[in-house]
Amino acid sequence: MAATQQEARSCARTPKRTNMASFNKIESRNDPENDPFRSKYKARELLREIYCSAGLRAAKLGAVEYYLGVNHVDTEELPAGQEHLMNCMKLLERCRVSSLNVSLFIHVRNQLGILWAGRDETETAQGFLETAESIYQRYMKEDGSPPTDMTEYFAAEESLLTHQERIKRFELAYTHTMYYLAQVYKNLGQTERAATYCHTTLQRQLQLNQFTPMEWALNAATLSQYYITKGRYMEGRHCLSAATVISDLAGEVPSEAAAQENEAESERREHLRQKRAEIARCWIKYCLNLLQDAKKQLEDNIGELDTDRQEELKRARRREEEEEEKGRKSALLFGSEDTFDSIASIEEKVMCLFPLDFTEARSVFLVGQNHVTQAKDYFQMDGYVTDHIEILQDHSALFRSLAFFEEDLERRCKMHKRRVDMLEPICNDLNAQYYLMIRRQLMFELAETYNEMMDLKLALANRQADTQSLDNHTIKKFNHLCSASAKYFQMFLDSLCSPEGKFPERLEEEVLRPALVARFRVARLHSRFISTSPTVQLDNLNKSLENYKYVVQYCEANPEAGATVETELELSKEMAGLLPLKINRLKARMASNN
Amino acid sequence: MAGASVKVAVRVRPFNSREIGRNAKCVIQMQGNTTCISNPKQPKDGAKNFTFDYSYWSHTTPDDPGFTSQTQVYKDIGEEMLLHAFEGYNVCIFAYGQTGAGKSYTMMGKQEPGQEGIIPQLCEDLFQRTGENTDPDLTYSVEVSYMEIYCERVRDLLNPKSQGTLRVREHPILGPYVEDLSKLAVTGFTDIRDLMDAGNKARTVAATNMNETSSRSHAVFTIVFTQKRRDQMTSLDTEKVSKISLVDLAGSERADSSGAKGMRLKEGANINKSLTTLGKVISALAEMQSSKKRKSDFIPYRDSVLTWLLKENLGGNSRTAMIAALSPADINYEETLSTLRYADRAKQIRCNAVINEDPNAKLIRELKAEVERLRNLLFSQGLQELLDNAVNNNNNINNGPGGVAGASPSPLQLALTSNGITPENGPAPPGAEPVSEGDTPADPDQLIEDGEEREEGESTENISKEEAAERLMETEKIIAELNETWEEKLRKTESIRLERESLLVEMGVSIKEDGGTLGVFSPKGTPHLVNLNEDPLMSECLLYYIKEGVTRVGQQDVDIKLSGQFIKEIHCVFVSETNEQGEAARKSVSGGHSGAVSRSRDLR
Repeated sequence: MAATQQEARSCARTPKRTNMASFNKIESRNDPENDPFRSKYKARELLREIYCSAGLRAAKLGAVEYYLGVNHVDTEELPAGQEHLMNCMKLLERCRVSSLNVSLFIHVRNQLGILWAGRDETETAQGFLETAESIYQRYMKEDGSPPTDMTEYFAAEESLLTHQERIKRFELAYTHTMYYLAQVYKNLGQTERAATYCHTTLQRQLQLNQFTPMEWALNAATLSQYYITKGRYMEGRHCLSAATVISDLAGEVPSEAAAQENEAESERREHLRQKRAEIARCWIKYCLNLLQDAKKQLEDNIGELDTDRQEELKRARRREEEEEEKGRKSALLFGSEDTFDSIASIEEKVMCLFPLDFTEARSVFLVGQNHVTQAKDYFQMDGYVTDHIEILQDHSALFRSLAFFEEDLERRCKMHKRRVDMLEPICNDLNAQYYLMIRRQLMFELAETYNEMMDLKLALANRQADTQSLDNHTIKKFNHLCSASAKYFQMFLDSLCSPEGKFPERLEEEVLRPALVARFRVARLHSRFISTSPTVQLDNLNKSLENYKYVVQYCEANPEAGATVETELELSKEMAGLLPLKINRLKARMASNN
Repeated sequence: MAGASVKVAVRVRPFNSREIGRNAKCVIQMQGNTTCISNPKQPKDGAKNFTFDYSYWSHTTPDDPGFTSQTQVYKDIGEEMLLHAFEGYNVCIFAYGQTGAGKSYTMMGKQEPGQEGIIPQLCEDLFQRTGENTDPDLTYSVEVSYMEIYCERVRDLLNPKSQGTLRVREHPILGPYVEDLSKLAVTGFTDIRDLMDAGNKARTVAATNMNETSSRSHAVFTIVFTQKRRDQMTSLDTEKVSKISLVDLAGSERADSSGAKGMRLKEGANINKSLTTLGKVISALAEMQSSKKRKSDFIPYRDSVLTWLLKENLGGNSRTAMIAALSPADINYEETLSTLRYADRAKQIRCNAVINEDPNAKLIRELKAEVERLRNLLFSQGLQELLDNAVNNNNNINNGPGGVAGASPSPLQLALTSNGITPENGPAPPGAEPVSEGDTPADPDQLIEDGEEREEGESTENISKEEAAERLMETEKIIAELNETWEEKLRKTESIRLERESLLVEMGVSIKEDGGTLGVFSPKGTPHLVNLNEDPLMSECLLYYIKEGVTRVGQQDVDIKLSGQFIKEIHCVFVSETNEQGEAARKSVSGGHSGAVSRSRDLR
C-alpha cells in the first residue's frame, strides 16, 4: 500500500506530462492519413495512464462519494444518493480495474443495484449488478491478489488489513452481489436463475465460513422447498440433509430445567426447538411430495395402481439410478470436508427416486412420519393452532399416499380411518369464525375420506360375496360411511352461508368449484344409500335430484361456472334428466304394491 | 365473504406550507376512480395510471366540485365496514403512506366539526347505532385494545404495567390473540378517544425513549364489538363478536430492514440489502414456484406478527379496506409512485386457503356407467322417446329461461310436475340448517373398528409436568377473562387508566384537570414544553409544564423525566420567575444539552 502510494505520487510528477502536451500539439499534424487520430489516441492512452497512477486519489475520492451516496440513500434521500454514487462511478470510469480499486468497483454497483431496484427499474439494477459480477470474475482470473478494502484508503499505515481479512471482505461484497442478483432475477420472474444464485449465496456463506448455523440451515431447508415443487428431489434432499447437519452445529437444545432458571437459555431453547421443528416440516413436505408425485406416475385413469406402468418404471429404474446420481451430484454440493460425510449419510436414509411399490413407499412414509412427530412436539395445538393442523393435514396426506400403494383393501381402509381419527375431532372443535378456511379444508377432506372408505368397504364386500347378498352389518357400515361423507360435504356447503344462514347466490371464485363439486357429490351419495324401504329410497333419490339440479341451474344462471366443472356438469345434466324417470318408476312400483 | 378481495382507496392531500414555499408542482391527477401520476423529470414520458375502488381528490378546497370531504370518505369506506361489523364479520381498515402524506388526517382527522377522520366517525356512528337500539333482548358491549408492533415485538399501548414484549398465540376457540394484551371496556366515543390518545402518548414516549420513529412501527387499534341476544323462549344468550381493526401501517419501507417482514404484500421490486434476509428471498422464490400449482410446500419463514394477527382479515371471514395517502408534490414523486404500486398490489390480495380436492375420476366413471345403465334400462322398456324428450328439455333449459317457459308440456314435464318439482322452481333450497358447534357428538353407532396400524402408529403425546402446569394456567387465565362481568371489566379499565395517568404524572407530563390527557389543551400563560415528531399523530401529544421556580429535566430525581439515549442524568434546568406585572418571565439555565431536547419547543 505504502509502496503503491509512493509510486502514484512519483508517477504524477513524471516529466511525461509536459512531454505529452507538446506531443499532442505538434505531432498530430504528422499522423498518417489512414489513421488520422493516431496521436490523439496515443495521447488519450497516456492521459489515462497518468490518471490511473493518480488512481489512488480517484479511488479515495470515489470512496468518499460512495459513502456519501450510501449515507443519503440510508436517509431516504434517493436522488442525492444516486448523484453521489454516480459521481463515484464517474471517478472510477477513468481508471483500470486493479487490486487498488476493484472492491469499490463492486460495492458501488451493488448500491446502485439496490437503488434502482427500489424504484422498480429492475433492468437498470440488473445491469449494474451483472457488471459487478463480471468485474469480479475478470479480476479473479487476471489478477486475484487480495484487493485493498475501501476502509484502508483512510486508515493509518499500521492499521492496514491482513491479506486474509482483505479477501474475506472482498468475497463478502461479491456474495452480496450474488444475493442481489438472486433478487433481481426473482423480480424479473427468472426463478430458475434466482434459485441458482440463492444456492450460490448459500454455498459461498458456507465456504467462506460466514454464516450462523441455524439461519443457514433454515435457508437451505427453504430452498429445498423450491426444488421439490420443481420435482427435483435430488437437490431437495441435498438441501435438507445439509440443513439437518448444519443445524446440529447450533448446539444442543437446553433442557427444560435449564430454561426455567435462565431467561437467555429459555429463549435459546424456544429458538432451537422452533427452527428444528420447521426443518422437520420441510422434510415432511419432501416425503409427501415424493410419494404424491410417484403416485401420479403410477396411477391409471381412475387413480388405481397401474401394474404395467409399475413394471415399466421398475425396469427404467436401474438406468436412472446410475445416471442421475452421478450426473447431478457433481453439479452442486454443499459442505466442507468435515460436513460432507454427515450430509451424505443423511441422504442415504431416504430415497430421492420415486418409490415404486409398497415397501419403498412405506420407507418414505416412515421418514415423513418421524418428522411429523418431531414437528408436532413443538407446534402443539394449544398456541399453534394453524401450524399444528397443517402438520396433521400433511400426516393425513402421507397416509393417503401410502394407502395408494397398499394392496390389501382392509389395511387400506384402516389407513383412511386413521386420517378420519386425526382430523374429525379438530374439525368439530375449532372456532368457526377464526378458522373458517381450515375448517372448510378439513370438512372437504373428511367428506372425501369417508367416501373413499365407503368405496373400499363395498369393494371388500363385493370381493367376498356378490352384491345381492350384502349382509346387514356391511350395509349398516356402508350407509354410515355414506351419510358421514354427505354430512361433511353438507357442512362444507353450510360454511359458505352468510351469518344469517343464506346460501350465496353467487359463489366466490375460490369456492366455486369446491362448492359445485360438493353438491355433485352429495347428489351421488344420496343415490347410493342402500335401503329396502321404497319411501327411504324415494327420499334419497329426490335429494339426489335436487342437488344435481342445483349444479345444472347454477351453471345456467352463471355460464362462466360451467367451465370449472365441465364433466360434473355434463353428468349432472344427464342425471337431472334421468333421475325423474327412475323416481317415477319407483313411485309406480310403490303405488302398485299398495 | 371468503376470498372477497381488499377494497382499495387512495387519497391525495393539499400542499403543505413547506411545499407551497418551495413552489411544489402537483404530480397527481384524478378522474373517476383512476389516479394518474406524472414524472416531473420526464413530463413527456407519459403518466402512469392506476385504478382503484376509490380515488379521492382532496388536494383542493371544498369549493371544488371534485373535492372529497372527510364525510364522503367515511360514507364510502367506514360506514360499509361498520355495517359488516354489525353483520358479524371481522373488519379491518389499513392506512398506508409515506410519513406526512396525510395518513393521520384520513384516519384520525382533526377535532373540528367536519374534520374528523374515519376512526372518530366510525366510533361515533357505532355508539349512535347501538344507542338507538330499543330491543330489550339485544345488548351491545364494546372493548378496545391498542398495540404497537415494532421489530416484530408487540407491546401494549394501554397498560403501563405491561412492560416488554407480549407473546402472540393461537387458541382453538379464541383464535389468534396477544397474550396479556389489555382489553378495556368502553361505553362511549369519548372513552375510545381518550384511550386512543393515551395509547398515542405511550407510543410517543416509547418512541422517544428508544430513538425510534413511528414510521417504522405498525399500530393496531382494535374494537371488539359484541352483540348479545337473549332468546326469551330458551333464555339462552347468543353472542356475535366482531373485531374492527384499524391498522396504521409503517410508513417507511425500512420497517423491513430490521429483518421484519412487514406486510407480505409489501414485497415489490425492492432489494433486501442484508444477507440476514436471505431466508425471506428464498421463501418468496419457493412461494412463487408453489403458487403456480397446488400448495405443496412448507415455507419456514414465519409470518410477520402483523400478518399473522390479521390473517383472518387478509382473506377469510372478513372485510378489508385499505387507504393509501398520497403526497401531491413533485419532490415526493418516487415515494408516491411506490405507494401507488403498493396499493395496486393490495387489490390482488386474496386468501390463499384453497380446497385441495381429491381427483374424482373413479366417481365420474361409476356415474357414467350408471347413466349408461339407466339409459339402457329405459331403452329396453321402450322409453327412448321419453328419454329424448328429457334430454331436449334439458337442452332447452340450457338455452335460457325462455326455453323452459315456452316449452310445451312434454310427458317428462308432466312427470316432473306430478312430483311437485318443476324446473321453474329455481334453485333448490339450501340444505339443512347450519350444524352448530358441538352438535355433532361421536356417532354411538360407530361401526368402524378402531384398528390401529401398529407399525405406523404415532407416539403418544408426552407433556411434562411443567408444561401441563403452564397450559393449565393459560387456560385458567382465558376462562377468568371470559367470566369477567361487564362491571368488572369497567372497573379494571378504570384502574388501568389511573395507573396510566400516574405514570404520566411521574414523568412530568401534564394532565387536564378532568383527568383527560387528550391532545394539547393550550395552557394559556403557563410555560410548557411540547414534544415534536415527524408524525403528526405523535407530535405535540406530550406536554410538560414548567412550574414556577426550578424545573429539572433529566433521567432521575427530576420534575420532567426523559429517558432517551442522549438524555443526561440531569439534562437541563428551567427557571421560571414571575415579574411585577404578574407575567411569567423565564430563563433556561444549564441548557448545555439542549440539542437533545430540541424536540421540545413552545417555550413561551
